[in-house]
Amino acid sequence: MDWTPLELSLRLALWTCALLIPLAAICARWLAWSRWRGKVLLEALVALPLVLPPTVLGYYLLLSLGGDSLLGGWYQSLVGRQLVFNFDGLLVAAIIFNLPFAVQPLQRAFEGVPQDVREAAWCAGLSAWRTFWKVELPLAWPGLVTALTLSFVHTLGEFGVVLMVGGSIPAKTQTLSIAIYDRVQAFDDAGAGRMSAILLGIAFSAVVLVYLLSRRGTALGR
Amino acid sequence: MADNRINGLEVRLQQHSPIPLAAEFHCARGEMLAIVGPSGSGKTTILRMLAGLARPTDGSIHSAGEPWLDTRTGVFCKPRQRRVGYVFQDYALFPHMSALGNLTLAMGHVPQGQRRQRALELLDMVNLSGLESLHPGQLSGGQRQRVAVARALARDPSVLLLDEPFAAVDQVTRRKLHLELAALRDRLLMPTLLVTHDLEEAAALADRICVIHHGETLQTSTPEVLFRHPHSALVARLMGMRNIFQAQVVEPADAGRGCRIHWQGRDLEVAERAGFAPGDPVSWTIPASKVLMHRRGRPSRGEHENPVSGIAGELTHLGDEILVNLWVDGDPKTWLSFFISHHVAERNDVRAGVELAVSLLADGIHLMAPEA
Amino acid sequence: MLMSSAHQANPASEKVKSFVCRLWRRCSRVCKYAGRPCLALVLAALFSISPASAAVPPAVAAAADLQFALTEIAARFEAKTGQVVRLSFGSSGNFQRQILQGAPFELFLSADEAYVETLAKAGVTRDGGRLYALGRIVLMVPKVAGISPDVNFKDLRRAIEDGRLRRFAIANPEHAPYGRAAREALQQAGLWTLIKPYLVLGENAAQAARFAVSGSTQGGIIPYSLALVPVVSKGSRYVLLPASMHRPLRQRMVLMRHAGPVAQAFYAYIQTAQARKILVRFGFQLHGD
Repeated sequence: MDWTPLELSLRLALWTCALLIPLAAICARWLAWSRWRGKVLLEALVALPLVLPPTVLGYYLLLSLGGDSLLGGWYQSLVGRQLVFNFDGLLVAAIIFNLPFAVQPLQRAFEGVPQDVREAAWCAGLSAWRTFWKVELPLAWPGLVTALTLSFVHTLGEFGVVLMVGGSIPAKTQTLSIAIYDRVQAFDDAGAGRMSAILLGIAFSAVVLVYLLSRRGTALGR
Repeated sequence: MADNRINGLEVRLQQHSPIPLAAEFHCARGEMLAIVGPSGSGKTTILRMLAGLARPTDGSIHSAGEPWLDTRTGVFCKPRQRRVGYVFQDYALFPHMSALGNLTLAMGHVPQGQRRQRALELLDMVNLSGLESLHPGQLSGGQRQRVAVARALARDPSVLLLDEPFAAVDQVTRRKLHLELAALRDRLLMPTLLVTHDLEEAAALADRICVIHHGETLQTSTPEVLFRHPHSALVARLMGMRNIFQAQVVEPADAGRGCRIHWQGRDLEVAERAGFAPGDPVSWTIPASKVLMHRRGRPSRGEHENPVSGIAGELTHLGDEILVNLWVDGDPKTWLSFFISHHVAERNDVRAGVELAVSLLADGIHLMAPEA
Repeated sequence: MLMSSAHQANPASEKVKSFVCRLWRRCSRVCKYAGRPCLALVLAALFSISPASAAVPPAVAAAADLQFALTEIAARFEAKTGQVVRLSFGSSGNFQRQILQGAPFELFLSADEAYVETLAKAGVTRDGGRLYALGRIVLMVPKVAGISPDVNFKDLRRAIEDGRLRRFAIANPEHAPYGRAAREALQQAGLWTLIKPYLVLGENAAQAARFAVSGSTQGGIIPYSLALVPVVSKGSRYVLLPASMHRPLRQRMVLMRHAGPVAQAFYAYIQTAQARKILVRFGFQLHGD
């Protein structure tokens, strides 16, 4: 079996998590405690990838990241590579379509940190950053693991957006889910079956992990 | 004294909404001031403003001469800049850290190497040695409260703020914690503010009590003064006094003697020299301890001070004593409350419905402005 | 430590639960102490499978009908020269769009020369390319459908009228040349408007082939090169449609401007006698150009 699609998928998932989770943590923390009236708009924006069809997302991503777009041209001159049809473009797309999966569990977890514990941290002399690092984040840990796992698995499984932004270029943008599609079209059912089983196994283990963790999280008594 | 006052806490807070406030008080170094009032009177809000967790529309807070808040000059120090030790109502301990961890996290100002030692000393001071590696989830309510106090002290605070710190524990534990806090007092060199709705607690622990109602400071004095000389009927009611009545001044105070007031068809002698003119309406109050029951069945020997007779209404057994409500002249709408021991009740056959007479001691009657 | 108390359930699930709990506790303890080394491991994993290694095989875009033919040619090429190419199959129109948007294919084998001409006019190609084959189409019907395939679509027409036909698969005429050819053939037979409501459009010729033999349609029009492959045609019957029924499927290939030496070598190899023999075996007609 050709392992490159799996490697590619794993690499995409790992990089997405590495870049997305810190970004999402900051965003989620701000959303959890901000009292700005426009907060609802930002929350809706974050939730958009959940409700938009992947094709719409892919279309807008192609439009804004493509070779003849402002961002695409700037990136090309900066790095020498194109965004679309490349791993880099997939990464940007993955970060965007995983936003709700990362931000929402984190936001719920941060909201669950009692306000008086945060205030106690301030009164104990901790700065906003130290409060975040030493108190809020450890207490939001289960949310962080959920966000990480969901983003990881969702990236592994994403199809529509990856196909539109990356094409199906073997060893570059042909992730596991697209490789399965490709194998089916090539009448290679055995290959498609093997890859599907692997993806199913990973996804299932991840969901089990998340459920176990969420139960443990609620047992974190005061 | 003046020096202590300058080095203490000076507070003035004013606000219309969302919570109305008109509070003004001070607390000297080493003094414990209890802020007492009914629920919703703004006590916790005041404490939060002192800590920097809330901000009034107008006011100033100075600690040891340093301005923490001054709306006129726009000064506002954040909580971490203020060095306050705050004990929250539900303790707000860091659940993911041990007791030791809770304390060392508040010791940012102490060099790294000394933190553990100091934390252990503090835990020892609050009688928690040996429990330093336990997490809050594994501690009892009383133990958690002690950790919260120790954490507040770990900060080396310039002001100690306690928000109903005994509310969440049972009566027995509460008494124990009272004793411990009282024992800690001589180590507390900073102004300490204790918010509570429990008058007895305030009277037992605090040097002075500040009575708050709807965000307004009504009176700030020592417990004795508050009980004996409340400024108004409202304060008297908030202090839990039972005998509050309206009367009229008959004779004003004179040099050498107090005044006389007319109440319920009789004249009462008042030792206090209040500045009321004849005919002025007044409110008056008398502590239950200054109402003495006449022995029944014995002919009255000479004059008793301010005698009042009536029928015993309700009798309420409160532990060692009995609270008697005397219906003055048989009128159930006007009653005088006083305490007698079981022994006296038995000897005098005091039951509901029997005739009784009492004396109101002249030096116990306190006159106040009439109620609106 | 804070796990809920055990229930008196079946002991096997208890064992599994306690095993998982112990494993989890061990992992979390390890994570606490091995936090930094774990992070290092993850970072190493991220960078190890790095994207830009030195010699990357060139990406070749090929029309879907070449699925099996080109795979075999590429295998022979690798056996002969030791060089590898990465093949991507799809609809020619789709590839043209992607290449115009900057997709990094170095060689494009289209099923319709019109797409190559567009690219050449856009200036992304090295030259006008080369005609490498002429494609043919077949009418494919699964045996279970009970329709007999013939070049005049007689039974097909009857099947539409009596309701035996519910779905018919062709590639999307908008961007797949074989779909365009299928449409032309059906139009010529006067069947197009009749069959239109029953059409299932495949994204490319290979997907159309999958639909046609899947049993969820009652047949379709697919490339001859796919029908000849046993794995596709087993369980179905097909008939080769005359080339006069549609505009010729002139299949043209072209190198991109930035094509590297491996792509060029492959381009040259496809024109050798060896490769042409393979093309003929898969039903392609050769053109001298």
